[in-house]
Amino acid sequence: MSRQIDTLIKMVNQIADNAPRQETPEATAEAVAGHLRKFWAKPMKVQVKAYLEAGGDGLNEVAVEAVRRL
Amino acid sequence: MLHIYDPNTATDRDLGTPPPAVSAGTVSLSIDGKPVQVPEGTSVLRAASLAGIQIPKLCASDNLEAFGSCRLCAVEIEGRRGLPASCTTPVAEGMSVNTQTDRVARLRRNVMELYISDHPLDCLTCSANGDCELQDMAGAVGLREVRYGYEGENHLDAEKDTSNPYFTFDPSKCIVCSRCVRACEEVQGTFALTIDGRGFESTVSAGQDEDFMDSECVSCGACVQACPTATLMENTVIEQGQPEHSVVTTCAYCGVGCSFKAEMKGNELVRMVPFKDGHANHGHSCVKGRFAFGYATHPDRLTAPMIRDHIDEPWREVSWDEALAFAADRIKTIQAKYGRDSVGGITSSRCTNEEAYLVQKLVRTAFGNNNTDTCARVCHSPTGYGLKQTLGESAGTQTFDSVMKSDVIVVIGANPTDAHPVFASQMRQRLRQGAKLIVADPRQIDLMTTPHGGEAIHLPLKPGTNVALINALAHVVVSEGLEDRLFIAQRCDSKEYAAWNTFIKEERNSPEATESITGVPAASVREAARLYATAGNGAIYYGLGVTEHSQGSTMVMGIANLALATGNIGREGVGVNPLRGQNNVQGSCDMGSFPHELPGYQHVSQEAPRKAFEAAWGVTIDSEPGLRIPNMFDAAIDGSFKGLYVQGEDIAQSDPNTQHVERALGSLECLIVQDLFLNETAKFAHVLLPGSSFLEKDGTFTNAERRINRVRKVMPALAGKEDWEITQDLANALGYDMHYEHPEQIMAEIASLTPSFKGVTYQKLDELGSIQWPCNDEHPNGTPIMHEEDFPIGKGRFVVTDYVPTTERANRKFPLLLTTGRILSQYNVGAQTRRTKNQTWHDQDIIELHPHDAEERGINEGDWVGLTSRAGDTVLQAKISTRMQPGVVYTTFHHPVSGANVITTDNSDWATNCPEYKVTAVQCEKVAQPSAWQERHRAQHKKQWGLLKPTEESAS
Repeated sequence: MSRQIDTLIKMVNQIADNAPRQETPEATAEAVAGHLRKFWAKPMKVQVKAYLEAGGDGLNEVAVEAVRRL
Repeated sequence: MLHIYDPNTATDRDLGTPPPAVSAGTVSLSIDGKPVQVPEGTSVLRAASLAGIQIPKLCASDNLEAFGSCRLCAVEIEGRRGLPASCTTPVAEGMSVNTQTDRVARLRRNVMELYISDHPLDCLTCSANGDCELQDMAGAVGLREVRYGYEGENHLDAEKDTSNPYFTFDPSKCIVCSRCVRACEEVQGTFALTIDGRGFESTVSAGQDEDFMDSECVSCGACVQACPTATLMENTVIEQGQPEHSVVTTCAYCGVGCSFKAEMKGNELVRMVPFKDGHANHGHSCVKGRFAFGYATHPDRLTAPMIRDHIDEPWREVSWDEALAFAADRIKTIQAKYGRDSVGGITSSRCTNEEAYLVQKLVRTAFGNNNTDTCARVCHSPTGYGLKQTLGESAGTQTFDSVMKSDVIVVIGANPTDAHPVFASQMRQRLRQGAKLIVADPRQIDLMTTPHGGEAIHLPLKPGTNVALINALAHVVVSEGLEDRLFIAQRCDSKEYAAWNTFIKEERNSPEATESITGVPAASVREAARLYATAGNGAIYYGLGVTEHSQGSTMVMGIANLALATGNIGREGVGVNPLRGQNNVQGSCDMGSFPHELPGYQHVSQEAPRKAFEAAWGVTIDSEPGLRIPNMFDAAIDGSFKGLYVQGEDIAQSDPNTQHVERALGSLECLIVQDLFLNETAKFAHVLLPGSSFLEKDGTFTNAERRINRVRKVMPALAGKEDWEITQDLANALGYDMHYEHPEQIMAEIASLTPSFKGVTYQKLDELGSIQWPCNDEHPNGTPIMHEEDFPIGKGRFVVTDYVPTTERANRKFPLLLTTGRILSQYNVGAQTRRTKNQTWHDQDIIELHPHDAEERGINEGDWVGLTSRAGDTVLQAKISTRMQPGVVYTTFHHPVSGANVITTDNSDWATNCPEYKVTAVQCEKVAQPSAWQERHRAQHKKQWGLLKPTEESAS
C-alpha cells in the first residue's frame, strides 16, 4: 500500500469525525460525501473509492458510507 | 495607461490638531477677517489651517493631542486678554481671531530667539536641511538676530545615541517640544519615551536612562516622524540626503496593508514614510514597513534567470528566453509522459492580485488543470471555509477603524503587537479609551499589558482545545439567556439555530465540564462570555492560533456561531475579524488561487461562472477541484506529480514536516522557482526566475479588511521583469497566449469575471485611495462593513461544532506541547527581514520554556535544547519565560536553520488541510550539538550557494 492511500484514509476518517453533525448518520455521511466532492481532486476520490471497493480496511463507519456515495 | 498620483493632497497637510472626537454642531467665527465655519470643538489653529491661514507652530501636529508648550501659535482674540495658544483654544461662536499682529509677531520672534540660542547653527550641514520645521518657523517669524547670544549654558555638546540601527537621536538639536514622547504614547501606545528632568535639564529619554536599543522602544518610527528638527532622524537620510520625489504605495509585509510614501532620489529609495491618508494605517507604521526595506537592494537578490538539469549541478545563467523555453519544454515533456494533472502551480500571497490571478490562470489554461494553491493553505484556509459556511463570504466583516466603536475586544490565537503592530496600536488606543479586553491564548500576549489599557481577562487554554473553549463561551450565552433573540429571529436560519441551541446547551459544553479539557477556570469563561454578550459592541479578532489546528475550520465556525448568537455582526464596532498574515493573503485567496475555486470564490463545479471563464480564456476548465499543496507533496512522493511552478513562496521552510516536504520536492522532475532570493525551496529547483520586489511593480494588494490598495512602481525591476510579466512570458512559452501591457488590464479582466470586484478600476482606486470589496453596482465605492442587511447566503447559519481532540497528544515520550508564533522584527520565513538590520533584534529562533519545565530538565537560560517530536528533531537555545503555562513550549520560525518545521507534523485541519502548526507534542533535553537535520541543512546550504556562485566563497 502506498503512502498516499494512508494519507487519504486518515483524511477521510478525520472529515467523518469532524464534519458538522447532522440529524441522522445518513445525512452526516452525505455531508461528508459532499465535502469530498467539493474539495477533493478527482484522482484522490478515485483512489479512495477503489480502496473501499478492495475492502476499505481502516475506514470508519461514516467514511465508508460517504465514500460509497461518491 | 499611466496614472499620476500626487501624494501632496490636502489630506496630507498637517492641520495642527486632530479633529474633535465628537462634534454636536457647527461654529461660525472670523479669522483675520475671513468668515470660517468649523465643527464645534475644533481648535483655532485647525480652523485657521482649514481656512488656508497658516499659524506658526512647533509642538503641534494633527496626529497628536494639543499640548500648548511652544507658544509659537499664539494669536489675539478680540475681547480676550493675553495671547492664547491657538492649538489649545477651541473655537467659539462669533469669535474674532487675529493671527498676525505686531504683538504676536514680537512674541513669536522672542520664542524663536530663545529656541535658537540653544541650537547649533549648522543648518547647511544638518541632515534635516530642507525638511526642518524649526528652520521653516525661523523663516516664518522673520528671525534676524538672537538677542540672548550663544554663549550661555546650552546642550550643544549632548552625546548622540546611535544604538538603533535605523535612526539617530541627537539631543543637541532637541527643542523639547514633546512631540516624540506624545507620538510614542498616543500613536504607538508603547510609552517608551519620557521627558526626564525639569526646566533647563529637561531632555527626551528612552526608558530610564537607557539608550533607545535597550529601552522598550519598538522602533516604529512614530517619534522620528513627529520630530520637527534633526533630533530624531532616519540614518538613510543622514547618509543619502533629502529625497526629491515621492510615490504613494502599499507595504509588502503583514496583512494590515499600510500605505507609505516611498521617498526617492531618482531610482534610489531614501525612506518609507507612513502616508497620513492611508486608510488602513492613518500615518502610522512599524519597524518592518518603515525601515526594513533594505532587502530589495541586498546583494543576495537574484538578477538573472538560471537553469540546471539536475539539482546537484551548478546553476547556469541564461537569457530569459532560454530559461522560459527550458521550463516550458520540461513541463510539456512531463505532461506528455505522466498526464495533464502531473503539474501544478503555487501563487504567492506576497505578490499582487494581478500576479496571483495570472498564475492561477496559467495553471487553468496553459497547464489545463486546477492544481493551483497558495500559501493561505498553511494559514487562513480554514477562515475561507468557515466564514463561507456560516456568513456566506470568505473574509473578515469589518474595517480596522471599526475597533474604535468596540466596547469589548476579544483576541483569540493572535498576537497583534508583534504580527499586526499598526492595528495593535489602534486597538491599544481603544483600550486606553476604556474598551475591555478578553484574550484566549496559551501564552500571555503583550496586548494584555497595554499601558493605561485596563486589566484583561485571560483565558489561558491548552493548545488544541479551542473548540471546547468557544463552545463553553456560547453555552454560557445561551444557557444564561444572553443571546440576541431579535437578531437570531430576523437574520439567522431558524432550523439550524434550533439544532445548534440544543447542542450548545448540553452539559458537556458547559465551562465547568470543559475546564478539565481547556484548563481554563470555569469562572473566567463565564465572566468573559457575559462581558462579550452584554458589553454592547463585541468584536472578535483572531489569528493563526485559531486556524492552524486539526479543528481550525470548526473553530472559525464556532466563532461565527458566537458572534451570530450575540448579534455582534453587521454594524460598526462588532464582527468576526481574521488578522491575515501576509500582505496579500486575502487577495491571493480572492484571486482564485485555491484548487476548487475560480476568482471571487466561485466553485469550479458551478456552471455559470465556469462557462464565463471558459469563454473569456478560450479553454475548457475542469469542473473537479485540483490538488492542494499537501496533496501535491503526497502525489509527488507517490510518483504521479512531477512539475511545480512556485511564485514567491518558500514551501520548503514554511510548510510542516520539512523532511516530508524535502522528499516531495526532491521527487520533482521540474521545479520552477520565481523568487527574490535563493530560498530553501530554490535549492531543489531546476529553473530560477528572478522576481521583483513590491517597489519594482504596479498592481494591487488586498489587506485583512478586504481593502484593495494600489502598489506603485518606484524603481525598475532589478532583473528586468515584473512578476506578472514573467508569468505571462511562461504562459506564452507554453503556447497559451497572454498579451497584457499593464496590470491595469489584468484588473479589468478580473473585474469583468468576478462579481465582488465588478466596480474596481485603477482610476477609482486613484480617486478613492482604496476600495473594500464587494465593489459592485449596489456598493459602487466598496463595502466597509459587511452583512449589514443580510448575508450573501440569505440567512446566517449556525453550525454544530463538536469538540474532537487532536490525535497529536502529549504522552510520556513527548510530554510537552510546542506552539509556534512570530516576533515583531522578523516576517514569516524571514527571507526579507533577515536581509535587513532587523536581525539586530532577533538573529535566531529560541525555545521558550516555563521555569518549571526547564528546572525539571536541568535547562538554564541560554542552554542548547534538543527538541524532539514524532516528526523530527532540532536544537535551539533556551529562554526561560513565564509567558507560557507549564507543559507548553514556544518558538518562532523565522530562521531556516532552526528547523522549526522539522518538528511539526503533517496533521492538518480536517476541512482544508491547513497544517496543525500550533500543537506538536515534544520532548526537550539539554544537548551539546546541533541536530543531524541541522548539520545536513548547513551542508546543503553551503553546497547550493556554491552551485549558485561557483566562483565566490560560499555564503555561510
